[in-house]
Amino acid sequence: MIPAEEAHRDRPHTMISVAAVADVHMDDDVLGRYRPALDELPGKADVLLLGGDLTRHGTVSEARCVATEFGNLGVPVVAVLGNHDYHCDQVHQVVQILTDVGITVLEGDSVVLDTPGGRLGVAGAKGFGGGFAGRCASEFGEPEMKAFIRTTCDIADRLAASLAELDCDVRVALTHYAPVPDTLAGEPLEIYPFLGSYLLGQAIDSAPTALAIHGHAHHGTERGTTPGGVRVRNVAHPVIKQAYNVFHLHVPQSPGFATAGTG
Amino acid sequence: MSEIDEYVEAEIQRLLTEENSLAEQGITVHRREHFLQLSGEVASPQRRDEIVRLVRENFPDVPVRADIGVTRAQAPREAEELS
Repeated sequence: MIPAEEAHRDRPHTMISVAAVADVHMDDDVLGRYRPALDELPGKADVLLLGGDLTRHGTVSEARCVATEFGNLGVPVVAVLGNHDYHCDQVHQVVQILTDVGITVLEGDSVVLDTPGGRLGVAGAKGFGGGFAGRCASEFGEPEMKAFIRTTCDIADRLAASLAELDCDVRVALTHYAPVPDTLAGEPLEIYPFLGSYLLGQAIDSAPTALAIHGHAHHGTERGTTPGGVRVRNVAHPVIKQAYNVFHLHVPQSPGFATAGTG
Repeated sequence: MSEIDEYVEAEIQRLLTEENSLAEQGITVHRREHFLQLSGEVASPQRRDEIVRLVRENFPDVPVRADIGVTRAQAPREAEELS
């Protein structure tokens, strides 16, 4: 481990520095709490990723708190929403308020950011539940059950397509729900199907993804890996116990670097 | 002392999530021998106090103890290298 600020300043331009946090659950009682740490971001990271559950109930006033806290940070901010952000059926207004302060909100789409270290591609989707291989729901039986798992399938398909279409040096997948069970360790086994789905992991593994970021599991653990070997990090605020985590992603120099312009 | 059964535990867990002024999914409810313990982390002291107040208000016969922390929000001092 090296001090984040020093490493960012002196690092060779073959590295992209990604800060990430999820489950900040903003409301006016938390306003300003993250800001001192966020003000240090330009020295520490090229981008901040927000992995959903930005609000408590997804209201307009809570979204304004998110915009105040996470807007105008001096680094690009890319977010997905979480289940809490859907609670009050005001998703359109919430997204608009975040977009108005320059936060990019992804749902089944992607963005490419030019950083000193290279082009960072972020594909994002909220994700959904269903469970993990061998212990998962199937598209079978009652319409409600079929709709549940079909929702996850559709979201995972869009995430896979977004990752595939990215033209960048380093790919990151951003979700709220977990793509692997590894990072849920600490949660009751019985609720795993509500915390994530292997279909998200499969989507992440379908492209050369460098890192998968998620939240949602407050009692989970930080580190995991997809079956295909992609590093997974749970950045739920109660898990990381600080304002955000910083990841240094090494940009492939060759042959990836040489072919990046033609890809 | 009233008995704390599984149904009470389930009702409290749902109250924590579904009560609009709470919306907390990160609190664990444990039935101990003589009391019910709430544990986990929340984003502010106000949220912790409101959880305890509402659980006591809705379940006045249940002895409740809270061990709920407020998640720290300092800047990280280290970065993770992913090569």
